[in-house]
Amino acid sequence: MMNEPLILAENLHVRIGGAQVLSNISLTITRGEIVTLIGPNGSGKTTLLRALLGLTRPDRGFVQRKSGMTVGYVPQHFARDRAMPLTVRRFMTLFGAPAAEAIDDALARTGVSGVLDRQVATLSGGELARVLLARAIARRPDLLLLDEPLAAVDVAGEAALYRLIAELRSDLNCAILLVSHDLHVVMNQSDRVICLNGHICCEGTAETVARDPAFGRLFGARAASDLAFYTHHHNHRHDATGHVVPGQAASSPVAGAEQGAGHA
Amino acid sequence: MPDFLLRAVLGAAFLGAACGPVGAFVLWRRLAYLGESIGHMGLLGAALGLLIGIAPITGVAALCLLAGLVMARADDGLIPAGTFVGIVGHAGLALGFIILAGMESVRADLMGYLFGDVLALSPTDIGLIILIGAGALGGIALLWRPLLADTVNPDIAAAEGTTRPYVNAAFLVLVALLVAFGLRVVGALMIVALLIVPPAAARPISRTPESMALAAALFGAAAAPLGIAVSWWQDVPAGPSIVLAAVALFAVSSVFAAARGNRS
Repeated sequence: MMNEPLILAENLHVRIGGAQVLSNISLTITRGEIVTLIGPNGSGKTTLLRALLGLTRPDRGFVQRKSGMTVGYVPQHFARDRAMPLTVRRFMTLFGAPAAEAIDDALARTGVSGVLDRQVATLSGGELARVLLARAIARRPDLLLLDEPLAAVDVAGEAALYRLIAELRSDLNCAILLVSHDLHVVMNQSDRVICLNGHICCEGTAETVARDPAFGRLFGARAASDLAFYTHHHNHRHDATGHVVPGQAASSPVAGAEQGAGHA
Repeated sequence: MPDFLLRAVLGAAFLGAACGPVGAFVLWRRLAYLGESIGHMGLLGAALGLLIGIAPITGVAALCLLAGLVMARADDGLIPAGTFVGIVGHAGLALGFIILAGMESVRADLMGYLFGDVLALSPTDIGLIILIGAGALGGIALLWRPLLADTVNPDIAAAEGTTRPYVNAAFLVLVALLVAFGLRVVGALMIVALLIVPPAAARPISRTPESMALAAALFGAAAAPLGIAVSWWQDVPAGPSIVLAAVALFAVSSVFAAARGNRS
């Protein structure tokens, strides 16, 4: 079933150690879509993912996850510990027990078929990233959450793996929420891009977001000129920490003004 | 073989086998001081028991349990879990000594509770050991899947629903009960050593968590007859001989693994 909401977040506010990390986040992720979360360092991407997963408790607002759905999660960091002996084969069934064929297939698709009997602690960074992705895929998840899953993968491998992620949506009939730094890939393969900077700055199709001046301010003129050709009306500015500065409307009213949804 | 010797071998071997898999988690979760700290709390429990006139074992069990629950509750990430475990233990030790200072007459009695004698195990003690050991092994078997997933990566385990919020507390309570009753029958030195040394001996020759737990159980069981044989023929104390036998197994397995060039 398409368009089935898997996660619904309403008005999320998260503080961590006294700092307001996320404000007023509302979003819905439905089956069959690829949503990409972009934003500068410290903009709350990982915190938002964690809040959606229930790993971080919001101070205000709520998250609703479809009950009984299978989640596949690839965290940004994975600490390996040589004190625990752990083969890749054992690791693949540690958080649930997918069928052997699903495991073999997932490892083959991410290009690491040969590592089954290696120790997780001795994998290279790139191999580990591929194994982590394969583990999440092998679960045949309804919702795949990937937090910079390919940061340790070389450029050539990265392009192939992003193509794989795009294929997964239809293969698994799942939703994918991806945090990424690679803007070009993001722009090409997402149904929806959410530009985050403590709050949702702008959101919509890749085209819409690329045109948004908020995007240009967050990612610099170069990225903006690569990706955007004209701007539309933007109703707020940011201070240095990304907070909205009240009463200073940015003004460049042009065609396409209403395409950028979700101004905070 | 005299009956008391047979009982010593049986009791220590069974306790060693039970400590192996539990101790594997102590090693993986970096809680080497856990057994010792809970034992320190046990001293406070014994002192309090004598002070208010109840059986010291009741006091030991109550305070060990309390220590386990405090340790489980206060894991906020600011203070490393191992350090917090040490703080709780030393608080118990210090307070226990202060209470003991006013109780000159019962000191010898208390010593019996803290430094049990493996050669003096009664048939009742053997029954108690079998009960505790079977309970510990059953408990760790029940906790195995969620606890292992939580140990490898608590975020993935929580996000994908593999772990449960209570697994950490349940594990600490299990260790607390094992140590509390272990103190009573074989003494502090031996119960703590049986939690730490056999799993360490098992690590270099293991490739999966399960094989390490099994090897730790076998090493723990093997240390008893080895140590008691040495104790018998050389006329040295039995408890310390069992501990040294476990250390010898650790040395042999480390050298064996190094020689095979497989320390992954």
